[in-house]
Amino acid sequence: MLQLKNISKSFDTRGKAVQNLNLKVPKGTAFGFLGPNGAGKTTTVKMMVGLLFPDSGEITIGGYPGGSIAAKRITGFMSENPQFYSHLKAVEVIELVGELFGYTQTKTKRIAPKLLEKVGLARESQTPVRKFSKGMIQRLAFASALVNSPDLLILDEPLDGLDPIGRLDFKRLLLELKKKGTTIFLSSHILSDVEELCDRVAIINRGQVKAEGEPKTLRQRGEKTLEEAFVRIVRQ
Amino acid sequence: MKQVISAIALNTFRETMRDRLLYSLVAFAVLVIATTLLAGSVSLGQDLRVVQNFGLTAILVFQVVITLLAGTQLVWREVERKTVYTVLSKPITREQFYIGKFIGLCQTLLVTGLIMGAILAALVMFKGGAITLALVLAVLFIILESWLLSALGMLFAGFTGSIASSVYTFALALIGHASTTIWLMTQKAQGLVKIALQLVYYVFPNLEKFNLRNDVVFNLQPDAIQIGSALLYFAAYTVALLLAGLAVFKRHEF
Repeated sequence: MLQLKNISKSFDTRGKAVQNLNLKVPKGTAFGFLGPNGAGKTTTVKMMVGLLFPDSGEITIGGYPGGSIAAKRITGFMSENPQFYSHLKAVEVIELVGELFGYTQTKTKRIAPKLLEKVGLARESQTPVRKFSKGMIQRLAFASALVNSPDLLILDEPLDGLDPIGRLDFKRLLLELKKKGTTIFLSSHILSDVEELCDRVAIINRGQVKAEGEPKTLRQRGEKTLEEAFVRIVRQ
Repeated sequence: MKQVISAIALNTFRETMRDRLLYSLVAFAVLVIATTLLAGSVSLGQDLRVVQNFGLTAILVFQVVITLLAGTQLVWREVERKTVYTVLSKPITREQFYIGKFIGLCQTLLVTGLIMGAILAALVMFKGGAITLALVLAVLFIILESWLLSALGMLFAGFTGSIASSVYTFALALIGHASTTIWLMTQKAQGLVKIALQLVYYVFPNLEKFNLRNDVVFNLQPDAIQIGSALLYFAAYTVALLLAGLAVFKRHEF
């Protein structure tokens, strides 16, 4: 479903952010993308959705080039610290996203209330986004990522800023989507959530994959959690 | 493709029209245009001309101010606020985004220009004047000029910060209205100065092509060739600016 081949990206100010990164996420998998701050997670995610251009390498989503219109049609994306137009109401945000997918107004008006209900924002559908708390923005961002019923869902730190109930709701929704066969790419540094949700994980540091596999296979003898394995791998 | 551009344009239109700053500016503009009645009343028998001239100048000044405040920052404010992530990660091209933003801004400038134009027309009628073709065209040409300046501001904003782009656009608006003077200077200058002045005259936008104030004030019939050439100039210059702006925006990383 998602493949990254020898992806590299450098910035003038920060130097090499990603170096020869290779990843393969099969269809229907929930894939955790882990790394400490500044490891290159967000840079990689942005390249997948066409916000950044790789210096070299190739990204494909469902067989289409990453960042292409065809790839974006089958992708749902939630960015880190999502932002919306403050002049819009929650329902208008979803309708706008629907229109960007080329849906008719009838269709967007039909799906918007359903999606807002799904993420627990039904009562706030007519509330301007500028009045939303961070947690509500996260929920709205998740709803907007689901507008096109994506085959691949790319989530960058989606659980940041959510209260325990919000996190629980969020995980429940992700598990539902996983059951339905949606491929999930979850970039996060909250290891317990990743361990709970993901079939496979990759740990990156300084722009390179340091380890990849099922969460339990990454643990060595004596390590009880993914967190302990993560610390060991990052410090190596 | 058209639907996506329309969606972005409509959203941009809503965004700018719900901006309180715009309301304040238009309200202030209406007030300034209304004061032309006072200026007219102290002139000796020229009150209608004063109202027309002062009113059209006020519309131009406020259209330029709105363009500078809204237009030059429109696309790049999205980058700063990261709303661009939400939009550009969806199946739209950067061309659609950029053009949609431009069209939305043009819609806003059309509305503000028409509101101010309607106030001026009411004042002209109040003073016993008629709504002439020249007056209508003069207002429409001010709107066209603000559209061209928007494309210019969007281009500058791709290279510089939002404040710098507003300053550059304002500077070019001033130079653009001094094009007749620049042309006269090229006739007298020599050597490198002449070449530099010719370069400024031909490369920078000649905004005097959109100035029909004299036709209105002296009740002249607008020249069809002058109107046609101004429209062609607007189309060619604006398309060139949009293409250049797009070339910058397409390479931009977020």
